Order: sequence, then C-alpha cells, then structure tokens
Amino acid sequence: MFRYRIQFSKLGPAGYLSHLDLVRTFERAMRRAGLPLAFSQGFNPHPRFNFAAPLPVGVCGEREYLDLELEEELPPDELARRLAACLPEGLSVAQARPVPPQSPALMAVVQRAVYRVCLTLREEAADEQLAEYLRCLLNLPAVTVIRRSREGVEKSRDIRPGIFSLAGRVQGRRAELEMELQIGGGGNVRPEEVIAALVEQCGLPASPAAAAVTRTGLFPVT
Amino acid sequence: MVELEHILPRVQKPARYVGGEWNMVRKDWEQTPLKTVFAFPDVYEVGMSHLGLQIIYHVVNNRPDALMERTFAPWVDMEEQMRRAGIPLFALESRRPVRDFDLVGFTLQYELSFSNILNMLDLAGIPLRAADRGGDGPLVVAGGPCAFNPEPLADFIDLFVLGEGEEVINELLDLFRDTGGRRGDRAEFLRRAARIPGIYVPSFYRVTYREDGGIASIAPVREDVPAVVTKRVVRELDAVPFPTRPLVPSLGVIHDRGMLEVQRGCTRGCRFCQAGVIYRPVREKSPAVLEKQAGELIRHTGFDELSLVSLSTADYSRVDELVHALLDRLGPGRVSISLPSLRVDAFSVGLAREVQRVRRSSLTFAPEAGTQRLRDVINKGVTEEDLLSAVSTAFGAGWSAVKLYFMIGLPTEEEADLEGIIHLARRVLAEGRRQNVPRGRLKVTVSASSFVPKAHTAFQWEPQDTLDELRRKQARLREGLKEKGLVFHWHDPEVSFLEAALSRGDRRLGAVLEAAQRLGCRFDGWSECFSFARWREAFHRAGLDPGRYAYRRYTYADILPWEHIGAGVSKGFLVREHRRAMAGRLTPDCRSGKCPGCGLCPTLELEPVIIGRGEGNVPLPHTIQ
Repeated sequence: MFRYRIQFSKLGPAGYLSHLDLVRTFERAMRRAGLPLAFSQGFNPHPRFNFAAPLPVGVCGEREYLDLELEEELPPDELARRLAACLPEGLSVAQARPVPPQSPALMAVVQRAVYRVCLTLREEAADEQLAEYLRCLLNLPAVTVIRRSREGVEKSRDIRPGIFSLAGRVQGRRAELEMELQIGGGGNVRPEEVIAALVEQCGLPASPAAAAVTRTGLFPVT
Repeated sequence: MVELEHILPRVQKPARYVGGEWNMVRKDWEQTPLKTVFAFPDVYEVGMSHLGLQIIYHVVNNRPDALMERTFAPWVDMEEQMRRAGIPLFALESRRPVRDFDLVGFTLQYELSFSNILNMLDLAGIPLRAADRGGDGPLVVAGGPCAFNPEPLADFIDLFVLGEGEEVINELLDLFRDTGGRRGDRAEFLRRAARIPGIYVPSFYRVTYREDGGIASIAPVREDVPAVVTKRVVRELDAVPFPTRPLVPSLGVIHDRGMLEVQRGCTRGCRFCQAGVIYRPVREKSPAVLEKQAGELIRHTGFDELSLVSLSTADYSRVDELVHALLDRLGPGRVSISLPSLRVDAFSVGLAREVQRVRRSSLTFAPEAGTQRLRDVINKGVTEEDLLSAVSTAFGAGWSAVKLYFMIGLPTEEEADLEGIIHLARRVLAEGRRQNVPRGRLKVTVSASSFVPKAHTAFQWEPQDTLDELRRKQARLREGLKEKGLVFHWHDPEVSFLEAALSRGDRRLGAVLEAAQRLGCRFDGWSECFSFARWREAFHRAGLDPGRYAYRRYTYADILPWEHIGAGVSKGFLVREHRRAMAGRLTPDCRSGKCPGCGLCPTLELEPVIIGRGEGNVPLPHTIQ
C-alpha cells in the first residue's frame, strides 16, 4: 500500500459543498483520473482516503489536506497532475507527497486551524478600535457557548482555551479577521462562535450571519 | 451576472444554485448566437436526476451555434431571499438572468410542477401569458410527458414539443436562427414552427365550448397548421446522440448514478399507463452500442454505479447478455449495475440478485391491483403465483424487505379488490416467515396511490374516484394492513385530485393556474408546500369546479381537451381497449409477435425495434406484467 498526502483548495462554487458532497466529488474525480485506488474491504468497497478536518457548508479552504492510499506507487507529481485534471470547478490540487503508510491519520495530527473571516461592520472603524474588541474577547476568563446535539440536547462549553490568537484589520466598514482556533480530537472552536461572542459579549457592531469564512491553514501537518 | 454571495449563506443547500459541476458546459456568451436555457420546474436534486435534461443539454451544446444552460426552481427559502434582494431567476452556468436568453425550455414531467413553471416565469421577470410578452422577450417552449395534454398551460407557452426531443430541437433551433432569433419576426417564426412535425403552437388553435361546459370544437385558426399535431419519435435509438459525458452533480441528488438508457418504450399495454402509450413503439439499443456507451459514461463521470434505465429493463430482449457483459467490464473497477424497475417474476429477481452484491435495499414490485379480475381489467397480466414466486425468490436470495405498489380507485374497483390487496400483502408476509427471514427485519411495504385518468390511455374517459371514496378506501387498507411486518403508505388524495383536474384539464384552467401562482402555490408535489385550500380558492376565483374535470365521465363521442394532440395510437384502439377492459379481457404484449393493433406503427411509419425477437427471455404473453 502506498500513501500520499494531498494538499488541495476548496474555493468558489466548491465552497458550498458539504463534507459528504466533497467526499463523493473526490471519489468520482479519483475514479475519472484512473488512479490505482486501494479499496476498503467488505460488501460495499470504497476508495481509501481521509481528510484532515471537515469543512462546513459555505466555508472555503485554501490549504486543506487528505491522505489517499494507492495499490501501486505513482510519482507524486503525476498523481497531483492526474487528480487535478479531473476535479470540478473550485477544487484544485497544490501538491502530493508520499507519507509512510504507518504514520498517524491526518485527523489525529491536526490541532489548530487558521481562519480568515470577512465581515461588514455596521459603522466605520479604525484598526485600533477593532483591536480593542479582540482584546476584550481575549481578556474574558471564559467564553461559554451552547451547542445543540443532533438529538436536541444542549451542552455548554467554554471555548476560550481553544482561541489561540485573534488579529484583524479594517478598511472603512470592511473588517478582516484572522483567528487561530482549536480543531481535531481535543475539540473544535468554530469561527462563527467567536464572531458571535465578539458581537454579543464585546459589542462588535456586526451581524454574525453575514461573515464570509475561509480556512487558510491546518497545523501541524508534516 | 447576478450576485449571490450575500444570500447563499442564508439558504439550505446553497450548492443547488452555484453550478460548476464536472462536465458542465460554459460557452462564450458573446460568440454564441443562440442562447437557450433548460428550465426544470423542481429543485436541483430532482432535475439533475432526469435523463431528459442530460440528453437535451448534450444535443444543444453539441451545436457550435448554440449554448444551453440550466435553471431549476429555487426552494422556498431561496425564492424568498431572491425576491427580497431583487435577484431574478438565473442560469447556473453564466449566472445570467433567464430573461436574457433567447429561448427558455421547460420540461413537463408531472402536473404538480405547473405552478412552479408560472412562478419561475414570474421570478424571471417574464410576463406569464404569451399574449402579454410582446415579440422580443425569450421564446418560451415546453416539452415532456405532460405536453400530451398541454392545454392548461396553453396561455403561457409559445410552443410545445410533442414526443422525443433529440431531433426536433435541432429543427426548431435552425428555424429560430434563420428567422432572426429573439429579435426576429416572432409571428413569422411561430407560423413556420407550426409546420414542423411535432411542434404545437397553441395560439393557432381555437377552442369553443358547449353550454354544458364541454368542448364544442378545437380547430386551427390558420389553414397552414395541422388539425392534429402528432408526436415525434426517434427512429433509430442507436444513432441519436447519447450523453456519455453527463453533468456529474457534486450535491447528492435523487438518482445519483450513471444512467444508461437501454431502450425506449414499453410493449406491455397496461391500460392506465400513459408512458406506455407516449413512448411507443419500443426501440431497443444494440448491446454493442450499450457496452461502448457504458464504458465511456463511467470513464467520463467516475460514477460507481450504472443504472440500466427504461420503462421495463427486464423486458430488454438481450438483458441477460448485456448485464453479464457489463459486470465483466465494469466489475473490476468496482462499478455496480442497478436495475430501476423489476417485472413481477422470478426472472427479474434472478437478474437483480446477479447485479446486486449487497442486499441493502428492498425490492419493489408493482402488481397494481389486488385481484386477478382487476389486474385483467387493467391488462396487468400478473398472477398471484407470479408475485409469490418473485417474492419467494427474493426472500430466498437474502432480501428481507419488499415493497408492493398498488393503485386504488381503478375503474370497476370493488370491495373485493381492496380485500385482495390486504390478502396479497399478508401472503407475501407469510412467505417471508416461511423462508425464515428474521422477524425483526422482515418488512412488506404496501404503497397505494390513487388512480389518475390520463390523456391518450384507454382510461382517459374514466372519472377519478371522489375524495371521500378514496379516503374511505385508504382507511380500509390502513385497518386491514395493521400487523407487525406490514407497513402501509398512501398518497394525499387531495394531491391526486388536483393531478386529475390538471391532467384532464382544458385551456380554461389557465386562469386557475394564474390565480394559484398569485396565491402562492408552488412545489405542489412536496407535502410541506401543498395547500389544497389555496388551490380551491384559485378554482373559485376562476369560476371553475375542479370536480368537473376530475370526476367527469367522458363518452367516446365527446371532444376531449387533447383531441388535437396525437400520441400515435388510434382512437379506435383506445375505445377497443376500454371495452376490453370493461369485459376483463387481456390484450397481448406486442413483443409476443401478436400485434394488438394500436395503430401507431402505420401512423408514424415505423416498427418496433426488438433485437432478440424470438430468442432469449422474451416473456410469453401469460407473464405480462
């Protein structure tokens, strides 16, 4: 078995795909590319590939990763080229490289995600004012969010320890934030939760629903 | 181009509205003279499951002088956002407003999408009535099965295409281009279009009514248009373009697999079935062409499943040979084969067993009626023994769930026929127990739809059961099917009632549709959107009684609203079939070699194309489904 780590981006129309849609779309692209896919066992075999972390519907990803297993060895450049040629609009492959078959799963490795969030403020502001809102949030002892499970059970959780850094710039009413948040097995902090906390607890004059979110990186990925 | 980025975060499944799928065709707007858009009057997931869309998209985009894009009915949440933001209906490929195209083509797959057509025109900013549109807006055309009674839509559509579109669409586009397209002389274009076989221009026909509300006459208002417009049929299915590079949706759609059409038409002649008439005669594709197309389709799409589609794939004369060849060819790439519909017999189940390695889904059979008497009336030549041998084979092969489709309210139905449905379902359940299907998994689902009389069938003269009767019959089945292992599904009888009123409707229903759209009717096929009260109000405003359309029993002498639309079969045949139905007499399958005399072959000057006539598994007349 040969394992490859593929760095890809999910932008434009592909940004509106759900994770399940993305899995289906990649599987079909891999089949079109005629790659020597390794399949899972069982009655309903599927090609073996795994993503680092799912992206929610509507969130774009600039540096995303998946691990793919092949039955035959392929030069990584050829793999990247063939797969890239078969992806629909908005999905592209930046590079592929081999990883040792026994290395831990991507999902188990990734701990931090960086997001860029674009917002329209209700009033013009300066960089320093925005920095003030961000400092306010970082200075809170706890940021409690309520999450509802699929079964409707509510659970509260403090996301403050999972907010590693916040920064931002403003131009007129357009604000652009960069946030580094916890992701992976230890728990996820969602950028829209951070925006909601900035609005509700620190008075940021913006509407959380209108934020455009892009994940710009996942760390650490070797 | 319309801007969507600010509204997409507010709607469910935004991928419905952004396009960008694999095999999408986006042509240069300025360089392409004829700009057309295929309009599917339902959500993306339904429209993208439709083979007809893929075929027409492929045919038009193959022309260097034309482009075809797509638009679907936005779901109610998206419609609200679009109306609020002033965004008109747009096409996915270029995101240009639909009203900027030269031609908008709607597909008419079911009557319950009619309100969506009006709503889409409204969202596009195109006046609903053809007469109000003036000459320089997009040409609005429509085709598909409901074009066989297009009259309720006659006021809104410039022209209808009757029958199969692959060839006539090119003739239509050639003419449109040659007469100056959108900016040309629209009246001149329509006059010439009406002379193309299969093109029906409703404004060239005048309908008069009798005092009792019936139709007095339907006649052309010009001498140079035909009194009856007859459907188009593709002669050689092997030779027409088939989309082996179909659009591959990224969003999960209803039928999310490759579709390979193995044949068109069905020879069985079930008397309630409109598809059995309008897709006649049967034309099979050759196994060699199918194998080649299957290979290309899988290579160009990456689907892991290929569905062999047709009205009755088990009837394809070389089905065994084809299935084995495809399993050999596609199996190594882990591509599975599926059959969408099964005949009620052990052969079909055997076929399903071979193609389906995993018994994950249930098998569906359609005995349609509960007693032999009624099955003979509808010419569904299936016997109770056929059904039991089919389900027995299925349980023996590892399936634990079967679905049985029935219809209630069929002509001549009696209490015994309802009891027959209950009896059959219980026998099937007992067979499952006898075969030791685990109790917890054994499931027999009975689905009962309500009979809707359809144009061009032997039952077109028959009334629909009243709402009260249908409700009473459903209640009886619900009562009789209460048992562990039995599940009963039924359809909202009010939806079937509306469907009947529309499917047997005449031009006067245009006023009802217009009122319904204004009242907010849309997505009537979706239970969360359907409102019978709104439709009742729409009929009331138009001064019409839906019961007059659904419950009327026509005589053979009556002029039917679709009298000027030709499906190819003769009226004499339908009358004969209706009489045979009332006498409970079967009519043979035309595959058997005995011509039932439907009149279609001489009218259209062609013949059924059956490759393996007289060989293989061609069913004998007594196993007719």
